[in-house]
Amino acid sequence: MDIAKFKPAIVYTIYIASTPEKVWQALTSAEFSRQYFFGNSVEVDLRVGGAYIVRTPDGGVHISGEVIECDPPRKLTVTFNVNWPELVEKLGPTLVTYEIEQAGEAVRLTLLQSQDRELGDDILSGGRQGWPAILSSLKSLLETGSAMTIPMKPPERMLAALKAMGIKTP
Amino acid sequence: MDEVFKALADPSRRSLLDRLHARGGQTLNELCEGLAMTRQAVTKHLAILEDANLVSTIRHGREKLHYLNPVPIHQIGERWIKKFERAKLVALGELKRRLEQEES
Repeated sequence: MDIAKFKPAIVYTIYIASTPEKVWQALTSAEFSRQYFFGNSVEVDLRVGGAYIVRTPDGGVHISGEVIECDPPRKLTVTFNVNWPELVEKLGPTLVTYEIEQAGEAVRLTLLQSQDRELGDDILSGGRQGWPAILSSLKSLLETGSAMTIPMKPPERMLAALKAMGIKTP
Repeated sequence: MDEVFKALADPSRRSLLDRLHARGGQTLNELCEGLAMTRQAVTKHLAILEDANLVSTIRHGREKLHYLNPVPIHQIGERWIKKFERAKLVALGELKRRLEQEES
């Protein structure tokens, strides 16, 4: 896979009063992620080529991918493919990159979601809705010790667009 | 949060955000196209938006690309919108959109 072909479709930034090491840990540990990622747990083998998996609360595989870049505690790039039938075949792979930088007393966390082709607004609405909630909840968790619970369902327009492309959604 | 409100208080800056909402990942040149603002004014407004964290930028090859960053707006929402109001607000927004589309 040629990562130079990927262009970011979503670039979100959040400032967190924490340390790069803690942010890195929160992004890569199942125990932390369960609290801010809609109950999903991140399991990652932190080496290039290692597996990256996000499991739903019932243990099912929601997202599967592999580690492309791993530079703790600064940068993590993974393939981030939602595990719905035919999704990767029809939409191509998704890359997610987390960049962690010290910014004064805080940490600037930048999330990039990149694709190797243009995806429509309907398809991207899932990430546009989900990421701000995930990042805000992660910030709360690191700053206050408790995450915000933000109830959220996949946007209807995204599900309709996926269905129209013949992608089965749960 | 003050700087977010200050940044949003200006119509030119809101129109830049609208353009980035319509299409993310634009260069300064692309953002200037068709605008009645000088390049310097756009640069200045973008800097204010970036300082308020409403715009994120990345380097992509030799280009600097600008993206709308909705995270601070989401945080404003979290502050004043209760958990159970969200679905109703989404429904109201959808109703407004459909009714206004029928009219136009």
